[in-house]
This record gives sequence, C-alpha cells and structure tokens, in this order.
Amino acid sequence: MGVPELEALFRAAGVRGRLFAADIDTGREVAYGADEPMPTASMFKVPLLVEFCRQADAGLLDPRIRVTVTAAERVSGPTGISSMLDDVTISLRDLAYLMIAVSDNTSADTLLARIGRDAINAMLDGFGLAGTRVVHSCRETNASMAEDAGHGWPFLDSEDLARLRVLDPARTNRSTPRELAGLLGLIWRDEAASAESCAWMRGVLNLQVWPHRLASGFPYDDVGVSGKTGTLPTLRSEAGVVEYPDGGRYAVAVSTRSFSSALNQPRADAVIGTAARMAVDHLRR
Amino acid sequence: MDLVRHLRYFTVVAEELHFGNAAIRLGMAQPPLSQRIKRLEEELGVRLFDRSSRQVRLTEAGRLLLGEAREIVARVDRLHELVRHGEGAVLKIGVPPDLAAAVIAGLVEGFRASDPEVRLAPAEIWTADQVGALAEGLIDVGVVRHPVSAPGLRFGQVLVQPQGVLLASGDPLAGSGEVHLADLAGRELLMPPREGEPGMHAEVLAECRRHGYVPAQVHEGAGLGLVLAGVAVAFGPRVEQPGLAWRPLLGSPLVCRVSTAWRTATAAVTGFSAVAVQTLKERAGMMDEGAAPVRRVSRRPGMLA
Repeated sequence: MGVPELEALFRAAGVRGRLFAADIDTGREVAYGADEPMPTASMFKVPLLVEFCRQADAGLLDPRIRVTVTAAERVSGPTGISSMLDDVTISLRDLAYLMIAVSDNTSADTLLARIGRDAINAMLDGFGLAGTRVVHSCRETNASMAEDAGHGWPFLDSEDLARLRVLDPARTNRSTPRELAGLLGLIWRDEAASAESCAWMRGVLNLQVWPHRLASGFPYDDVGVSGKTGTLPTLRSEAGVVEYPDGGRYAVAVSTRSFSSALNQPRADAVIGTAARMAVDHLRR
Repeated sequence: MDLVRHLRYFTVVAEELHFGNAAIRLGMAQPPLSQRIKRLEEELGVRLFDRSSRQVRLTEAGRLLLGEAREIVARVDRLHELVRHGEGAVLKIGVPPDLAAAVIAGLVEGFRASDPEVRLAPAEIWTADQVGALAEGLIDVGVVRHPVSAPGLRFGQVLVQPQGVLLASGDPLAGSGEVHLADLAGRELLMPPREGEPGMHAEVLAECRRHGYVPAQVHEGAGLGLVLAGVAVAFGPRVEQPGLAWRPLLGSPLVCRVSTAWRTATAAVTGFSAVAVQTLKERAGMMDEGAAPVRRVSRRPGMLA
C-alpha cells in the first residue's frame, strides 16, 4: 500500500484523511499525516476513560458508587442520558459505559467533573502523549459552537464552519492519529492501567454500537472491532482496535474532514473502515 | 473344482450378461464357459442365471451371491498381489488428479530411493474412486483427502495444508494482501468434482457458508482455466502462474487434510506411506495436523440490536 492509494481512497470519498495504524505487538506501523493535530471530538472520552480507571485502581474513587444525574444537569446530545427526560441514578462505571458505547455527553461531563482535566493531561504526559489534551467538556464544546456561529445546530455554512473553535485543534480537545492509536495500544497491552481495568476498558470499547465507520471495513464474523468515534461538523473519525482470528491486533486511528458540510455522508463514514482495512492488510503482508 | 476360478467366471458373466462377450473377456471359448457356470450352479445348488429368454438375466440367488463372489475374487487377487510384493514387483498407488506434478514426481523419486526393489505405478484417481479401487485391489495404497471413511480402510499420518484463494490476476481482490471468504461474495467457485471428493466438497462449502460466502454457482473440474478466465475462483495451495493471483485466506478457515490410505499393510505400503509424509511436507507445504483453531465469532452490538 502506498500513500497515493490512501490519498485516492480519501479523495473518492470526498474527504481529506489522516491515518495511523500499528501492530500492537510488533510496533510495525503505517502513517499518513499521522502527526497532524486534530480535534478529538468525542474521542476525548477515551483518555477520560483511562484516567477514570487509574483513579479507581489507585483507590481515589469507587466505580460502583451511584450518583444521581438530574434533568437540570443534562448536557444536550442525541444518545444515552442526554436524551432522557428524568433524573437518573447510576454507578460511575455505568456512566463510563454509556459514555463509550453510545457516546453519551451527559455521562462524559459527569465523570469529567469528578476526574478533572488536569489529572487526565498529567496522565497523558506520563505516557508521553503531549499532543493529546483535554481542555473542554461536552457542555463547553456545544456552547462554543452556538457562540461562534451565532445560532444553534446545525452548522452547514462555510462561514459558520470557519468560525468554529471546535474545529481548530489549537483551541479545543485535541490529539493526533498516532497518539490516539498509541493510547489504545496501552489499553490492549495492559499498560494503561491495572490489567483488570484494561480488560474492562477493552470490553466497554468493544460494546460501542456504531457499525458505519471502522467496523464497516471488517465485515467478518471472526474479526473483532472495538473503538470510539468522534464527530463534529465536517469531522468524522474513529480510533479503535481490530483483532484478527490468528491473534493479530492492530490499533488504528482515522480522522477525516469532508469537503461538503452535509450531515449525512455514508461514503465519508465508510472510508474510515476502508482505509483502516487497507492499512491493516498492509501490516499483515 | 477350483471354486475361486469358477466364481471369477461367474462375476464376468454377471457383468456382461452375455456368454459370448464374457468368453471373449476371459480369453476362452463360449462352450467351456457355459459348462463351468453350470458346474458352479450344481456345486452351489442354485440357478445363477435365467437363460429362458433371449437375454441372460441374473436370478435372485445370482444377485445375492454376486457381491460375495466379487469380494472373494478380489481378496484372492490381493493375496497373489501380496506374494508378488514380497518378490519386489509393483506398488500401485492412487493420487488425486489435482495434486501438483512436482508432488507426484517427488513421491516416485522418494520411494525409489527408499525401496529400489519395488516399482511405483501411480494413477490419478479422486478420493472416492480410490476407496473403491482399494476395496477391489486395483491400487495398493492411495493418497486421499479427508473426511473419508470406509470399513477396513487404514490411514497414515494426516497432514494439513492451509488453503488460499486463486483469482484471475485482474480481479480487484488480487491487490489485497489477504482475502476473507466473505469478500468472495458474487464470485462463482471452481472445485474438484463432488463425486470424486464428496467429503471435502461438503466441508468446504459449509465453511464458506458459515463465513458469509455462498457461491452463486459451483463449477466442477481439476484445471484452472475458469479461474484464468475470471469466471470463477478456486481454493488451493500457493500457485505461481502467469494470469493467476494467489492470496491467503484471512483466518485460515479452509484446511485441506490429506493422508495415505490402504487396506492391507505390506512393507512396501508402509514404506510408501512414510515417503509420502515426507514428500508432502517438503514439496506441498503440508504440516502436521495441529489442534484445530477455535472458531471465534466477534461480538458486535448491532448483531443483536
């Protein structure tokens, strides 16, 4: 696989793409714009998940403790508690599950308030992932978009899009494809937290419900796909791990920006899987 | 009376249902053949043929005895064969027609080195036909594909060969490193004849179905012409041939299992069996049968939602 092939693949899908893929056990890698900073969007929930586990491992919090999320505290979002109407009493670890499996914003902000951004960034520094930063909550991200555009969702005009701070990696939660895949590699190698916590994180990431991005590139019963998507206007990405029946496991992160601002772009979603498949296939040759 | 010789006459007449033709096959005149069949009928106390009409027919008793008679004749033939083997004659072997020429050459060469007294006579025969040929004593030992079973059949060490997919070099999948069975959707499949390889046929198609590939049509044949033409794909070991691309199958779902098979173990049969294991490992990329990989089905939330 060469750079031109990936380039053509992304172009045909109407996006500009960035990709990093690595064999989790050998370190062999495929990199294509892999060190370019990008907004993480909902993928910031992965470092939040890791720090949640580390604090639980350290005895700083009890993942089984129940909290009540009131209707008033709710952050807007299309899934999970964000879309519910009434107060919810739920354990911290089930909040973490909802935050990953269906990308629930309310669950994420509830946990973020307890875990703390500084703690997450310190953890990332400890792993040498200095290009990955968590600076905003979901509520702040939503608010900044409305503020920048001067109106609420959706954001379809190029003037609006140009003003959105959430699309500028310097001014929002950010990472690079290489660092996101690296963080997942730590989880899969039991290095991100205790072995028990890492196993739980892998299980939760495997329960993510979206089939249209990374998983679409591996439509096989005997190949496992786990991951976390990230979506903002024109931005579609996913970081995950693909596990082959022979034991091969590959951390992949793909980030795309579409040329069109249309919200429904199945080809832009699917190219994340297609490009990942091409990269993994290359790593296995 | 020489009962075995009379039974042999009986089986030939039963096959021809014509005394004249049977006599020609046996290289004798018709009157003595008729006489001998009569003597056999007297000996057994039953009529074997109904000669009342213009056509010769087997009686019910004749039909009952035919199978046994064949078995006795075949066993006596094998007895003679065994004696000849002891004198260092010919070892008749069967190999599947689609086994690569280099493998057959390797079998002959390897056996010659290990047992120069015995000449190897290979014949290309599919597995199902080898089982019949072994029973009739037409071959002494075969190289068969599993699963296969028949009463009285003994097998050598089973070797395995992971199968890849053969595609026309212009197929879009030829550009990928490995191919999943599900990727083959929409393509027709070329396989060895179902009659000749029934066990392998059933096993491969079942595995394809489980992995998401249901070929619209299954062609039968041993040549790769249909693959070259881009009409079908085929499974097999790596092949280097212009116009063809071979790719491994993701997850190694298909495995060809092969062993030698025989009914009567002689020194030559055992020797050949050992040579076959070595040759198939060295020249056909076959391996000792390990534990079958555990089939995994990944869990994706959408499957049950």
